[in-house]
Amino acid sequence: MAVFLQSLISGVLIGGVYALIGIGLTLIFGVMRVVNFGHGDIMMVGMYLTYLLFTLMGVDPFVSVLISFPLMFLFGGFLQKVFINRVLNAVAQNQILLTIGLGLIMSNTVMLIFTSDYKILTTSYSSSTIQAGGGVSISTPLLISFLITAAITAALGWFLMKTDTGQAIRATAQDRDAAQLMGINVSRMSVIAFGLGAALAGTAGALISPTYYIFPQVGGTFTLKAFVITVLGGMGSVVGATLGGILIGVTESMSAVYISSGWKDVVVFVLFLLVLLFKPSGLMGKSRT
Amino acid sequence: MNKTILKALIGLIVLAALLAVPRYVDSPYALHMMILLFLSVSQGQSWNILGGYAGQHSVGHAAYFGVGAYTTMMLMHAKQVVPWVGVWAGMAAVVVVALIIGSICFRLRGPYFVLASIAVAEIMRLSAINLTTLTNGAEGILATEIPAFKIGETVVTEFLTKVPFYYIGLFLALLTIAVTYWVQHSKLGYYFQAIREDQDAAHSLGIHIAVYKNIGLVISAVLTSLAGSFYGIYVGFVDPPTVLGLDVSVQIMLICIIGGMGTLWGPVLGSLILVPLSEALRSNMITDLLVKIGLVSVDSKVGVFLKENLAHAHVLLYGILVVLVILFMPDGLMGFVKKLAARRHREAV
Repeated sequence: MAVFLQSLISGVLIGGVYALIGIGLTLIFGVMRVVNFGHGDIMMVGMYLTYLLFTLMGVDPFVSVLISFPLMFLFGGFLQKVFINRVLNAVAQNQILLTIGLGLIMSNTVMLIFTSDYKILTTSYSSSTIQAGGGVSISTPLLISFLITAAITAALGWFLMKTDTGQAIRATAQDRDAAQLMGINVSRMSVIAFGLGAALAGTAGALISPTYYIFPQVGGTFTLKAFVITVLGGMGSVVGATLGGILIGVTESMSAVYISSGWKDVVVFVLFLLVLLFKPSGLMGKSRT
Repeated sequence: MNKTILKALIGLIVLAALLAVPRYVDSPYALHMMILLFLSVSQGQSWNILGGYAGQHSVGHAAYFGVGAYTTMMLMHAKQVVPWVGVWAGMAAVVVVALIIGSICFRLRGPYFVLASIAVAEIMRLSAINLTTLTNGAEGILATEIPAFKIGETVVTEFLTKVPFYYIGLFLALLTIAVTYWVQHSKLGYYFQAIREDQDAAHSLGIHIAVYKNIGLVISAVLTSLAGSFYGIYVGFVDPPTVLGLDVSVQIMLICIIGGMGTLWGPVLGSLILVPLSEALRSNMITDLLVKIGLVSVDSKVGVFLKENLAHAHVLLYGILVVLVILFMPDGLMGFVKKLAARRHREAV
């Protein structure tokens, strides 16, 4: 029972971070109908940014979120304005290929600069745990990152629901043409949405860097996981992505414990195929095509 | 009519020249480059059938390439099965994989097929890492010796030099080109193109979309598996990242995108550009050239950096090429050339 609880809790905690990556992807998809295949690589850039801030200036990874969030927002906005914006009306395949290409450029540029060695970011609390009673212990960095994730998700929810810009973003996601007719600057909203998506991915990268290996190719797996999460939750749904993230986190940690850690990603991908087979509109969503 | 004869004549001359190459060229390096070129053409052409003609862009062709390579190599390594037999097992395995993927994804529209194709390739890669008893895990399979194919006591094939590989590679490239030509000019190919252009219209004309997408996938996958088996036997080594990694899928796709999807000669053109370019990077030719024309000096920081790193930069190059092609020539080089020709024609008129 203790083992079960243990893996459930760590699954939920890591799932929170996955949710952040998934929300970014789903936001971009919702507003632009572009599936961003470079999403994991954007997260990877966030990891290296955190690593640099930590090794060069001694900024704590969790504090560095304050710096990396705006920087990654600008980076995302730049990518949207220079590249993605040009293919908004192109066929879906070209959009996918473009983002794959951008992802390859990011990961291989980072590889040229930092080599493909695995980097580890060791903080004083990297391996510390909190005893929760009943033989269950909680990893401190995972707990902190989960709390930060929850705060960011809540703030994002408030931003999307309550502010004018947030409402304009949601309107653009609902119907681009109608939003434009209502006087919403949809191309500005696209830049903001992509910036936010990149910032969320970058933040997720910062949050997992104390507990994860940092290497240039780390993004690929996360891109795929982000897809699994968004498809699970229904493409374009922020609430769905949050639940999907936690579900994937739990699935992963359970299968690591009860099957083997080598197969945990396989379990996630098989789950993905099963969802496509039986409920392609996602566990939460209605299909919108 | 004259034009057709001219085309056939050029084709025959090129074919004769290609057949004669090993007679006059001894350099193993030159033969190696030609073999890589053939391999690339057959990879690209296989992808082209599904991606270019049927419009189903798979980003997981590494799955078929790798499963083909692994099956042949595993049989050869563990059971001494000659490659001539092993490739059939590889193709059979790939058909199973392809039909599973197809039956799941082709009922859906949108980006699902792309996503699922990547997921399946990843499942294959992770399985190859984890099924250590079968695949030797992350270490890969090294086959130092290829068993000779014997009927009774007579040796039919041996693989001692690069020459037999050259001819098999050439055959493979021609085979895939021929299949593409056949697809392009058959009813099947018209169905594929109808599906690519407008699914609803194709459906309303009575084309069973899922069935034909699956047919396209199986043809494409089987040919890719052949290329994979050929690669495995030729290199004598397979491991998860080199035959099942995402890079492999992207590279296969890129051959077509650069050359021009859905055209017969696009993948050939793409291969003629990509293979020499990545070889030039890998063997540091570009750095040497920059040094020679005096742009950078060998001992300077930049020179050392380039020498050490440019060899690994071919994937970066793939990324840059994809972005440039998508932004500036979305129809690939073939499309670009055709557009130029059309413009010229219009101006002349």
